Amino acid sequence: MNTEACDSCPAHVQMAKMGVDIANCDHVVALAGNPNTGKSSVFNALTGLRQHVGNWTGKTVTRAEGAFGYGGKRYKLVDLPGTYSLLSASHDEEISRNFLLFGQPDCTVVVVDATALERNLNLVLQVLEITDRAVVCVNLMDEAKRKGIEVDVRSLSRDLGVPAVSTVARTKEGLSDLVASVAGVACGETKTSPSRVAPPAEVQEAIDGLVPLIQGMAPGLPSARWVALRLLDGDHKVREALLSGELAGLADRQRQAAPLAASRIKAIAGAQ
Amino acid sequence: MNALSIGVAAALLVVILAAPKFGLLARWKRHRAYRAKSRSEDALKHILAWQHRSKLASLESLAGTMGLRPAAVLRVVAGLQTAGWVESGAGGIALTASGERRALEVVRAHRLWERHLSDDANMPMGKLHPAAERAEHSLSRQQVAELDAHLGHPQHDPHGDPIPRPDGTISALNAVSLNEWPAGRPALIAHLEDEPQAVFRQILLANLRPMQVVRVAESGPNHLAVEIDGRQHRIERSTAANIHVREIRPQDALPTERTRLSDLVQGACGEVAGLSPDCQGLSRRRLLDLGLTPGTRVEVALDNTFGDPRAFRVRGTTVALRRQQAEQVLIRPFPSSDGAETAP
Amino acid sequence: MTPVSVTPQAVLDRSDELRRGLDGSFRDSMVASLYQRAGELAGRSVREQGAGKWDFDQRIDRILTSRWLGLPVMLLLLGAVFWVTILGANVPSQMLANGFFAVEAAAAGWFESMGAPWWLTGLVWHGIFRGLAWVVSVMLPPMAIFFPVFTILEDLGYLPRVAFNLDWLFRKAGAHGKQALTMAMGFGCNAAGVTSTRIIDSPRERLLAILTNNFVPCNGRFPTLIMLAVIFVAAAVPPAAAAFAAAAAVVAVVLLGVCFTLGVSWALSRSLLSGEASAFTLEMPPYRRPSILRILYTSLIDRTIFVLGRAMLTAAPAGALIWILANVQAGGTTLADRSISLLEPLGTAIGLDGVILLAYVIAIPANEIVVPTMLMCYLGGAMMMDITTYEQIREVLVGQHGWTMLTAVNLMLFSLLHNPCATTILTIWKETRSARWTALGALMPLGLAFLVCLATAQAVRLLPL
Repeated sequence: MNTEACDSCPAHVQMAKMGVDIANCDHVVALAGNPNTGKSSVFNALTGLRQHVGNWTGKTVTRAEGAFGYGGKRYKLVDLPGTYSLLSASHDEEISRNFLLFGQPDCTVVVVDATALERNLNLVLQVLEITDRAVVCVNLMDEAKRKGIEVDVRSLSRDLGVPAVSTVARTKEGLSDLVASVAGVACGETKTSPSRVAPPAEVQEAIDGLVPLIQGMAPGLPSARWVALRLLDGDHKVREALLSGELAGLADRQRQAAPLAASRIKAIAGAQ
Repeated sequence: MNALSIGVAAALLVVILAAPKFGLLARWKRHRAYRAKSRSEDALKHILAWQHRSKLASLESLAGTMGLRPAAVLRVVAGLQTAGWVESGAGGIALTASGERRALEVVRAHRLWERHLSDDANMPMGKLHPAAERAEHSLSRQQVAELDAHLGHPQHDPHGDPIPRPDGTISALNAVSLNEWPAGRPALIAHLEDEPQAVFRQILLANLRPMQVVRVAESGPNHLAVEIDGRQHRIERSTAANIHVREIRPQDALPTERTRLSDLVQGACGEVAGLSPDCQGLSRRRLLDLGLTPGTRVEVALDNTFGDPRAFRVRGTTVALRRQQAEQVLIRPFPSSDGAETAP
Repeated sequence: MTPVSVTPQAVLDRSDELRRGLDGSFRDSMVASLYQRAGELAGRSVREQGAGKWDFDQRIDRILTSRWLGLPVMLLLLGAVFWVTILGANVPSQMLANGFFAVEAAAAGWFESMGAPWWLTGLVWHGIFRGLAWVVSVMLPPMAIFFPVFTILEDLGYLPRVAFNLDWLFRKAGAHGKQALTMAMGFGCNAAGVTSTRIIDSPRERLLAILTNNFVPCNGRFPTLIMLAVIFVAAAVPPAAAAFAAAAAVVAVVLLGVCFTLGVSWALSRSLLSGEASAFTLEMPPYRRPSILRILYTSLIDRTIFVLGRAMLTAAPAGALIWILANVQAGGTTLADRSISLLEPLGTAIGLDGVILLAYVIAIPANEIVVPTMLMCYLGGAMMMDITTYEQIREVLVGQHGWTMLTAVNLMLFSLLHNPCATTILTIWKETRSARWTALGALMPLGLAFLVCLATAQAVRLLPL
């Protein structure tokens, strides 16, 4: 209903710059996750596309995009490279991280492997440091069952503070729940309050010392805390973004987009 | 016809010579500028090094270290004087305050670059110094600042030398040569001198690295028997003079275990005690990102034909590591593979 | 609101200052606290009952990566893939060829009866159509079998085990173990192999993988190898063992390619790309049951049709070009004969001949059309109907054009080593953005191919064999 407004809205200008064509789309959804969690299967099942699914780490070397519709809305799905972390300096991790930070997707789906949840949650926690709008997709539930592993998705969702959905992407089990959760988060209907990991006390102190400065420089920046952490860690790309004014620009867009997002929510609420 | 080809050849020659960026003339100019800069910076470093040993450098000492003819040295020193970086007096050549600042900047670039090559590019210790000797002259201030932040503001270079801070201060090494350390008392290797190269190679061959615990087991007139990681090495006293050690402090947080992941046999289990201190930068992050944090249970899952790499079971996944990396994971082995569970 | 109260530089300075106050192990403790939290969360929501499946996975892995069986099993699997391909592709290839050439004859006759000029009939049916017909009948059956079988191995999760088994060799060559994965992708298409080198983080090792990917024979080159293996190797053994011998020969060529990859990587690691092997971590995913329908879809539609389509795009103009070369005369001889006799001395010197070199020149856009081009040049105006089985091709090559075992061996070597196709060269450029590396990636294999072929040809001619 407000695609015209969207085309001119600054967040979408940024999307276009990042090479994502968002014409005719209401929301942009990013798909993140560890390698080998069936991320490509989820992507294929949602979009109906047939990206090849191989069983080896780093198979998807190019960024894939697709679209799906739900509740009268069009969603653009961007498949990010599979990574274990967002902290190292590898090329893949930089692509994923930059998209989450600068692309500001309306919702991020983190696909996790139910058979190795502990390892996968590491990435989930890192994604939740950057964005509030996330859904955890606990995939490969069939394999977990075969291995005698049970995952309590409700408890996980409660602990993480974002929706968690169990799926078997190859048989499309649980996908409708996933799409509904994504829609809820993307439209702002589902309120999320992600669990953040408390860093050691002295690190927290340093963050507290830095966040006000960042907010002073770029008021309204959504992930000031994360930016502070990355700066303390000497992250090259974030330093550059700070110096070039990219971060400040991000904050400006966020402020301008805020009333629009509010009106979107109102429109949705009115329609129902 | 002939005139035309001569004309074309002449034009080509002019282009080859005088093209603004790639022409021979421009290249030669750039080379000259670089050589002048690197010579004066090398001279500053030399004078600084002598000052740290409470000596004044002289034209002869400069000529000796830099391998230049006296006339060339004279030109370099004259240039430094014009820039206000050195003063020559009766006893020799001394740095001015601004000269010392400049010299420390070069040292800072050198040591940070060594850190970068070691941490990010995994370059072996013996090759760091020559590479950094070249890079130190071409790094801009901005690049050095970025490198510093990227590396997490390290305090020491891979040999253990302190890295000068951006404000021009430098912490003292506070270490003595291994020759002066009492036998029997454990010490921490603080610094390995990387020059001369021949002695440094000897040190590396004995597998000595900064941040290792070393104990002098036996002290002879010409040699020392030192114990590292439970193994004994024989070191000449002349080599030991280039190894600097200090007291172990509680904040060094040294892992007390000596077993490494690479030592476990197939099927054996253990708990990660920590990562080796000489594993830094990108390789350290990789291992951490795999979940090899202290307290994590690890099991040796697979060997292969060559015995390297091997695969390990960590947090529900199987990950292959080369021996070189597995050596950097310190392990508390479990007594037997069955029944031993990690405490949460 | 104040416009900009804090400058970015001030933020950076403050962060550097705060960072200096932090402990050196700051990064460690950050990651440790993330994992600790992940462990707590997982502990609360996961219930495990035994670890039966993991034991099963591990048992398989212990065989596939074992000290003694790991490498033999790998060779056996590779051999089995080729054996199935060779065995299965033979008959369909013949049937396709028969069908196509019947169409060619009928259509050409129909054109003539309609009064079309001779050159139009020739260009369309004996040029373009014949080129397409050869490409489809030589390429389609092996690809349609090889791709699905190979994709099964990929989807099972076997490829990372190969990388695990071979990493030691790559490390010795100064390269990265994941290069084995990119080589596996190269079997399908070298361009895809070059793109997949993005999984290697270290730029130096990635360049090694890009520059040597060409030494894995891609699907465009397999038909050449298979044809030669069947005609020359299989023919030398009893019929019962023919397919095995042919598969073994192809495996031997692939192994030789691996040796060249390692050797060239080693040499580059000590010259142009000097440096040490970097860190290597590789996840060994659990084995997964491949879904047959999806494999058929991806391997047949995405891979086979894609590669075949590209081959056909180059085969049509190449067919026309060959027909023109063979039918346009200048000074009493055809252009084809002129260029062949021009290339003949060079070809003979390296144990091949002028026709083969001409075929490789025409096939620069796509390796797939080497065999079709060669056959079209050799056969000239002969009717295709007669030449559809391997025995008939053998008759033409050995009987009429003087091929020997040396020609076959050198053609296999040349096919394995020579320069990558235009698509791959373009991909190398896209991935490296450097004209220098692209030139090296194209010319180094070509030079190597000439050198190796020259060496074998001279050795065979000098030695009393």
